Amino acid sequence: MELYDKIVNSFKGITSIKEKVKDDLTTNESVSSALAAELVLISTLLIAAIMFRHINIILTIVVVLGLALILITNMPLIPKLIKEQSDSLEKMMFYVILTLGILITIIYWGTI
Amino acid sequence: MNELIALMVIIPIACALLLNLFHKKDNTVKIIAIVVAIVLPLIPILANFGLHYFGGHAPLITNPSLLEKVPETIANSSLAIFHPAVTYSYEAIQKVFIFFLGIVAFFAIFTSLSQNKKISGVLMFLMFMGTAAVTALLLSDDIFHMYIFFEIAALTQVGIILTSKTDNNYETAFKYLILGAIGAPMLLVGIGFVLGIVGSVNITDIVYAISQNLVYPFSHSLLIAFGLIFFGWLYVSGLPPFHTIKANVYSQALPNAAALLQVFTVITFIAFGITIFRIFSYLPFFKTLVLIFALLAMILGITMAIMQTDFRKMIGFLAVGELGYIGLGFGLGTELSITAGLFQGINEIIVTALLFIGFGTVLYLTKTSDTRKLGGMIEHTPKLAIMILIGGLAMAGVPPLNGFQSKLMIVQAALDSGFPEIAIIAVLISIVTFMVFVKAFHSIYLKPKPNNLKVLNKPVPNSSIIAITVLLILCIVLGLFPQLVTDSISQFAMGLI
Repeated sequence: MELYDKIVNSFKGITSIKEKVKDDLTTNESVSSALAAELVLISTLLIAAIMFRHINIILTIVVVLGLALILITNMPLIPKLIKEQSDSLEKMMFYVILTLGILITIIYWGTI
Repeated sequence: MNELIALMVIIPIACALLLNLFHKKDNTVKIIAIVVAIVLPLIPILANFGLHYFGGHAPLITNPSLLEKVPETIANSSLAIFHPAVTYSYEAIQKVFIFFLGIVAFFAIFTSLSQNKKISGVLMFLMFMGTAAVTALLLSDDIFHMYIFFEIAALTQVGIILTSKTDNNYETAFKYLILGAIGAPMLLVGIGFVLGIVGSVNITDIVYAISQNLVYPFSHSLLIAFGLIFFGWLYVSGLPPFHTIKANVYSQALPNAAALLQVFTVITFIAFGITIFRIFSYLPFFKTLVLIFALLAMILGITMAIMQTDFRKMIGFLAVGELGYIGLGFGLGTELSITAGLFQGINEIIVTALLFIGFGTVLYLTKTSDTRKLGGMIEHTPKLAIMILIGGLAMAGVPPLNGFQSKLMIVQAALDSGFPEIAIIAVLISIVTFMVFVKAFHSIYLKPKPNNLKVLNKPVPNSSIIAITVLLILCIVLGLFPQLVTDSISQFAMGLI
């Protein structure tokens, strides 16, 4: 019976997946948008990281390679980014407070 | 003394209060609103450049007879130079921005009056009050005065969202207020620190006190003040982490009102940006910080815009991303970059207003802004579609339109400053902006029309067509003759550095 239950449950899983897919149609447009967004995000961040060369060349190499590794191993990034950039009040407040904290810390203690 | 300088703020405030009183008297509201909206772009053309001291209280040094009467300790000190009253400064840069603000305000009010069956005196009140507030932001040389008018502008923005009657508008307005309750007090506390250190809230006085070493420029209190005011700037201008709420604010307002809201944001961004640049640009990490947040705004704005399915949110995020270009201008900190950034600000005001009003016609005809439910609109409004397409090309920076000129100047400024990376990112983001626009345009106009899409069987209001045409002409004229505005902006930028 256990095996039978497993098979039935797996069918249920498939049906629920189908319902999910029905709710959120994946079109050519959405796929190409996601791909473009993914590429833009990775490329711009890596290009921006090259600006560390104004501080130190070795640091730049380490940062760019490290960042590339982190970004590529965490692909796809866009679903995560969209989840974090949602308009839920908690997330927005979290990032606002985090930014305030980092900003004040860097400006105040970074220049002493 | 030029009284017209103060009237640039007083006339829209007086008009706003009148319209609120005349709510429900449709014809009266319509006539007053149209007349004042026509006057708004005309006043900056007629006014002479100069300073306006409220109450006539000029600095002591400008009044030798009075200077003789005060004790020598005051007459010989910096107090004689300080400004005792709120001062409005009207120069070429203010003229340009207030003129374009007046143009967009006129079309936002004009299209709103002609498209809504019931004319709302309250909405007109909010639009005029917001316009007055951002005009005061541009003119004021007093940082506390700027804060007060920013708060008025923020409240009118909330009010404009509430009048839109869209889904979740109350929720978005409430969220904006809560986030404002974090951002705005920080800005005020920062201003309080500056007042405590310098003893004046006049920006010229603060700059003088710091540059003449009357106060220690690297004192801890001044650093904290910079941190708090900078954070406040992120809030007022919708840079990250406030970009999500700003894009939502645009998407919840009616398109005509959203066209005006984005102008409020751009002008607030520029007014506070110039102020912060004047006071704090001596700090070694100032430009780096501005560059970081400008790049973040561009990257996050564009990646979020491309993933949206609601065209109002798409334009909202695009508008936030475009703010990053203006930020780059301040961040690079050269004469060319600041000129380019401010020119980009003017272009953004025009182009985003064009797109909001243009795509607003689609919302007017179909009552939906979901691109998945739209399609085939080109058969209903072919000429309008072409005009909107050209507007989109201007935003993406296609020659010979205005967006191309300002973005090219930013790229040149980045290369001249030794930051080719920033130039590459600016070009990349431009390309993706083009892609976002093409995606929106294809979904709305070119895709086969869905069977269940109902389109109103009536023409697009003439007011919208006139507004789009005039804004498009401005895009082309500024693209072909950028020196019309860049000359006055570059003079200002030279003085700023």
